[in-house]
Amino acid sequence: MNASTTEQAALRLAGVTKSFGPIEVLKGVNLDIRRGERHAVIGPNGAGKSTLFNLISGMFSPSAGEIALNGRSIAGLSPHLINRAGLSRSFQITNIFHRLSVFENLRIGILARHGMRYGLFRPIARMRQVNDETTEVLARVGLEARAHDLAGDLTYSEQRALEIGMTLTTGAEIILLDEPTAGMSREETAQAVDLIRTVTEGKTLLMVEHDMSVVFSLCDRVSVLVYGSILATDTPTGISANRAVQEAYLGEEAA
Amino acid sequence: MTNMRNLILGAVFLVLLIAVPPLLDLAWQNALVNILIASLFALAFNLLIGQAGLLSFGHAAYFGIGAFAALHLMIAVENGLPFPTPLLPLAGAAAGLTVGLIAGYFATMRSGVYFALVTLAIAELFHSLAPRLEGMFGGEAGIASMRMPWASFTFGSMLSVYYLVLAWVVICGLGLWAYTRTPFGRLTLALRDNEQRVRFLGYNAHASKVIVFAISAMVTGIAGSLLAISNETANYSLFASAVSSQVVLQTFVGGATVFLGPVLGAAAFALFSFLVSDLTRSWVLYQGLIFVLVMLYAPSGIGGVVEHHIRNRKNLDWSRLAGPYLLALAGGLLIAAGVVFLTESASILFGEEYAMARQGANGGLPAYELFGLIWKPLSFVTWTVPAALLAGGGVVLMRARREIGAIWDSKGHGARPAAKSASMGGAA
Ligand SMILES: Nc1ncnc2c1ncn2[C@@H]1O[C@H](COP(=O)(O)OP(=O)(O)OP(=O)(O)O)[C@@H](O)[C@H]1O
Ligand SMILES: [Mg+2]
Repeated sequence: MNASTTEQAALRLAGVTKSFGPIEVLKGVNLDIRRGERHAVIGPNGAGKSTLFNLISGMFSPSAGEIALNGRSIAGLSPHLINRAGLSRSFQITNIFHRLSVFENLRIGILARHGMRYGLFRPIARMRQVNDETTEVLARVGLEARAHDLAGDLTYSEQRALEIGMTLTTGAEIILLDEPTAGMSREETAQAVDLIRTVTEGKTLLMVEHDMSVVFSLCDRVSVLVYGSILATDTPTGISANRAVQEAYLGEEAA
Repeated sequence: MTNMRNLILGAVFLVLLIAVPPLLDLAWQNALVNILIASLFALAFNLLIGQAGLLSFGHAAYFGIGAFAALHLMIAVENGLPFPTPLLPLAGAAAGLTVGLIAGYFATMRSGVYFALVTLAIAELFHSLAPRLEGMFGGEAGIASMRMPWASFTFGSMLSVYYLVLAWVVICGLGLWAYTRTPFGRLTLALRDNEQRVRFLGYNAHASKVIVFAISAMVTGIAGSLLAISNETANYSLFASAVSSQVVLQTFVGGATVFLGPVLGAAAFALFSFLVSDLTRSWVLYQGLIFVLVMLYAPSGIGGVVEHHIRNRKNLDWSRLAGPYLLALAGGLLIAAGVVFLTESASILFGEEYAMARQGANGGLPAYELFGLIWKPLSFVTWTVPAALLAGGGVVLMRARREIGAIWDSKGHGARPAAKSASMGGAA
């Protein structure tokens, strides 16, 4: 890790708070994600991890606090603007285009990357660059054989791979993955970890992950979110040695 | 291969559309004009429901706007504005696009039922305002104009109007088809599938939906202007909710998931109304019945059923299917005959004329005439006929369905003729 103190964080959260009605789900979250690092957020069910992602990616606006992407405030911006600013996310619950082919699922994001969002005057089949890049992503997530099947017909783990692939297509520098390996078997998880490692090479990754072995093998740093606050941020080894974390969260698993 | 064949099929069809009408009489030419206009209207409407997944209940608004815009331009041409008559629909396009952008901005803020209700409200707004706006919509009477000659064309005959309409419908139809092949066309399908994810991929979903809506309204406006050119008049009744619901029925009966489905539906309905609207006052009821039956037994519409057969044409034993299909047709016709008999009898027996006849008969129930025969309302025979038709048709149809089902299943296609509907989602 070569993050100097002067270098600006890729993503910075300061005092981020979110209430749903009377319930305060996030209570002043402070978090710095360094450029190029792979950073995990762990925490018990209902801790607010997905809510955190929803705030960063623009699904909701924070009730209070500041979110900065490359030094620029993005709190409360619409999702599409945040995506265009270079941050792309996946979803905990698979969120794909079920009635489109796998290829088309991926091509939508590639088109957005090339700024052809409203292309109306040229057939898509002739856009060599776009189609080539789509094929490339397709190969990276290992779905070539499924290119022309409906996304809704894929197996669960194939859909999860597609979910990751779609997140990559817009060319964002900062990738948020919400529980990419949830519900996968051991082998599938191992494959997914390899996949995530290669596709986030040279990018900044923030991921929610329950599986500590995944966190250990993939991530540079870990933040622990409990009841809406960050309890600690450290290296995986540091976190597993952290008393407070053990008590609050890892305790049950470590026992 | 299939592309080539489709191209040839399309070309043959087009040649027929060009070559046959001169051989037809005026009434048929006029009917064809209406069929073409209804087809374009339905295609434009289906851009929203079939591709973007947005159900508009107020497309009469843009149809009417297009018609009035074209008429105003025609009036200007009458008063000396040099504008080529064949390009009059551009007025409908511009008006449809403009109003579509504004209405679409508000309507597409919501999806589903709320979207449908907003579109309905917008159309109702036009419907209630139009009779009061003399200048723009000509009050209750509407406005009228004449087609002016242009170059060497006089546009005096129905046939010349037909060709003008045909040209516009074909060009717009091809344009809408091309649309499905563009990036924005593919985005439209993605919006239907999962609007939220579209946003997180960097698209402004609202703006995209406004554009889809405006394009649909623009082509609808062209369809409306073609009607104005053909009729040379229009009034506020074009904004009626019946016009809006008509296109919904046609599109769903034809099949919203197949590109040409709406054309089938529009053509079938427009043709039927031409053929039978003089014979019966219950045409609207029959339309409703057809709609309900299609939704119940073939939810993907006529187009969906046709497409499903085309897709499975190589796996099907057509020689074995022919018999049961004919049987099903026979059963359907028997039932239809029974229903028509009952409907027409009811409409006679509860009609004003019959009430007068009863007065003449001192409150008795005089016989009535239907299908060239005399029926006595209290006679056993009168009601045995429809009952036998319905029962017989039902038995025949059930048997046919069983046989058809068995043949389809034996081909290893669990899906029955109407079940599948994901066609537009496939790869381009
Ligand atoms: N849109 C919402 N409206 C109301 N409450 C919400 C909303 N989204 C989340 N919550 C609540 O916020 C709390 C945190 O939810 P969140 O989904 O962020 O947890 P999580 O850490 O991602 O949990 P998990 O590990 O189960 O995914 C939960 O109690 C949840 O019910
Ligand atoms: Mg979660």
